[in-house]
Amino acid sequence: MHIMEGFLPATWAIVWWLVALPCLLLGLYRLRRLLSVDREALALLGVTGAFVFILSSLKLPSVTGSCSHPTGTGLSAICVGPWVTSVIAAVVLLFQALFLAHGGLSTMGANLVSMGIAGPFVGYLVYRALRETPVSIFLTVFLASALADLVTYVVTSLELALAYPAEVGGFFGSFTLFLGVFALTQVPLAIVEGVVLALVFKYIVQLKPEILVRLGVFSEERIVATQRGLADAA
Amino acid sequence: MLRRFRLEAIAGVAVLGFIALFLATTVMVPSAEFAGSDTVGSARISEITGIPEDEFQPLVPQWAPPSGEVESALFALQAAVGGIVLGYVFGTWQAQRRMEKRIQPVSTPDTDV
Repeated sequence: MHIMEGFLPATWAIVWWLVALPCLLLGLYRLRRLLSVDREALALLGVTGAFVFILSSLKLPSVTGSCSHPTGTGLSAICVGPWVTSVIAAVVLLFQALFLAHGGLSTMGANLVSMGIAGPFVGYLVYRALRETPVSIFLTVFLASALADLVTYVVTSLELALAYPAEVGGFFGSFTLFLGVFALTQVPLAIVEGVVLALVFKYIVQLKPEILVRLGVFSEERIVATQRGLADAA
Repeated sequence: MLRRFRLEAIAGVAVLGFIALFLATTVMVPSAEFAGSDTVGSARISEITGIPEDEFQPLVPQWAPPSGEVESALFALQAAVGGIVLGYVFGTWQAQRRMEKRIQPVSTPDTDV
C-alpha cells in the first residue's frame, strides 16, 4: 500500500503530512499516558506492535496477479486504540522508508494516514459498534481487523486518485483504477489477516485476560463468558 | 476436541484457501508476474500522467537496498524483530500462567475445619 517516494506531488505530500502529524502527536501523548497508567500494557503493546511488524513485512501473492502485504493494525486498534496504533505504524513505515525503499519520507504522511490512521480507525469503530452486542468476541476481532486492512488500501487508492485524476473519468475514473490495483488484491489477504488476528486474540484471552479487562477492551463478564466457552469446549 | 480448536481449524482452512487461490491464479493467469501492488500502482500513475516511471524523482533522497537479496534480508529482519517480541511476551505470559496455577493454595484437612 506504500506510495513510493517521489510518486506524490509535493503539495499532496505536504497535505497528508499535515493530516498525519497531529494524529501522530496525539498518539505519542496517548502512548505515554497508557504506559504511565499501566506498565503491563507494554506487553500487550509489544504483542500488537509485533504483529504489525511481522504482517507488514509479508508480501503475499493475490488473485490479481500481484503481491501485497497485510497491515496487522486492527488488533492494535482494538487493544491499545487507534491513536497509539498510529505510532506503531509510523515506526514500521519509517523503517521501511529508510532501509527498504518502500514508501518514502515525503510520502510517509500519506502512507501513515492510510495504514496508521484511517484503517485502524475504521477497525476501531467496527469493534466499538460490536463490543456490547451478542456478536462473538472473535468475530468482532475478525471483522475489525479485516476491515482495518481493506480500508487502508481503499484510502491509498483515494489518495492517489486525488493526486492523479484520470483524463477520462476524472477522480472517480482514477479511483476505480487504483481500487482495482490495491483494494481488490487485498480482499483475500484481509480475510486471512482477520482470521489470524482473531486466533491471536483467543490466545491473549487464554493467557492474559486480566490486561484486556483492565484496559477495558472487553467487559469482565464477556471475557469470563468467552473463557468459560473455551474451557467447556476443551 | 474439534470445538476446542475451532478457531485454529478456521485459520487453517483460510490459509489453505488462500494458497489454493494463488495456485488457481498461476494456472488461470499464466502471465501473472506477482509484482508488488506498490510497483503496479506506480505503473498506473505513469499511465495516467503519461510520464515514464523513471522520471518520478524522489522529493527526499532515499537509500535503496543494493540488491533484491539484501531487501529480502531486511524484510526478514523486520519480521524477526516482531517474532522475537511476540515469542518473548507470549512465553512470559505462558510461564506466569503456569506459576499461578502451581502456587494456588491447596486446602489441607487441618485448615479445612
